Amino acid sequence: MQRTMTVILFAAGVALGVVAFLEGGWARVGAGLRGTGSLLVETAVLIAAAFVLAGLIQVLIPRETVTRWLGEGSGWRGLLIGGVAGALIPGGPYAYYPIAVAFLRSGANIGTIVTFVVAKNLWTVSRLPIEVALLGVHVTWVRYLVTLAFPPLAGLLAQALFRGGGRWVRDGLPEAAE
Amino acid sequence: MIIATAVLVVLAVVAAGAAHRQDPAKARGGALAGLRMLRGMLPLLVAAFFVAGMLAVALPTQLVHRFLGGASSVLDVVIGSVAGGLIPGGPYVSFPIIAAIHQAGASLAATVAMVTGWAVWNLGLLSFELALVGPRFTLIRVSATLLLPPLAGFATHLLFG
Repeated sequence: MQRTMTVILFAAGVALGVVAFLEGGWARVGAGLRGTGSLLVETAVLIAAAFVLAGLIQVLIPRETVTRWLGEGSGWRGLLIGGVAGALIPGGPYAYYPIAVAFLRSGANIGTIVTFVVAKNLWTVSRLPIEVALLGVHVTWVRYLVTLAFPPLAGLLAQALFRGGGRWVRDGLPEAAE
Repeated sequence: MIIATAVLVVLAVVAAGAAHRQDPAKARGGALAGLRMLRGMLPLLVAAFFVAGMLAVALPTQLVHRFLGGASSVLDVVIGSVAGGLIPGGPYVSFPIIAAIHQAGASLAATVAMVTGWAVWNLGLLSFELALVGPRFTLIRVSATLLLPPLAGFATHLLFG
């Protein structure tokens, strides 16, 4: 999966290089490569620190603790806890979707789970440094402010549109998740 | 960039200190797990930065200006949202790409719509969601978040445009 992704990205980079060459010759391609290099050098310490921090968070906040916080949650408290848990939980989709399934199994309602997933997507704290580093303080600030209400809003909407959706989803879980 | 790096280094040191107080082996284990993760992702990171670097010189600036540059906020936001949903990979892959598009002249509203579109319409995430939680959850989650990226873009335009 990751290897395929890497190959696809390199191919895309080469294709973009060809476009750059057609537009401005080797000088343009050279500028792109220099840009790549300086991006890597400028963010090297940041990226190393981010990964060390991610590893440390994983040993500091055990998965069971998060499951406990969310498992019993419902209503506004559940939405709030779901949102905060989503914001704090580190790791990619292979990490948080299994946790969402664990919440579903422990009886969390659909609004809480949707809030959790959308908060992971929009509020996630671990992504903040890279977003600030690459997009700047202003864009990041506006982005977080504008999407601040979205996770609980999506949770409420899911709850309103699909009453009892938690059980329906639970009954339809993929066999691999059983 | 220097501030963000400093904040992260401080956070990492604080987290390491907290873990060390609990158990020194825990601190070492966590830091090593992070570095192992980094080693595993390094080829992907280099590839992503390569795309970002090339995108910066290959992106026809006029095209970005025309479609995302603020001439039409509706077009900006809609194209930004869809483009965001199509950008593949995690933040280390996609943010360099979004930053390149922003620097090429995409408006603030288009950029916010792009980040939000990437976060909630992400096609790459869909395969994980379908496989791990199933199509019923995907249906509910997609219905509840369908309007969020353009909403974020228009809100940005109205508040900060």
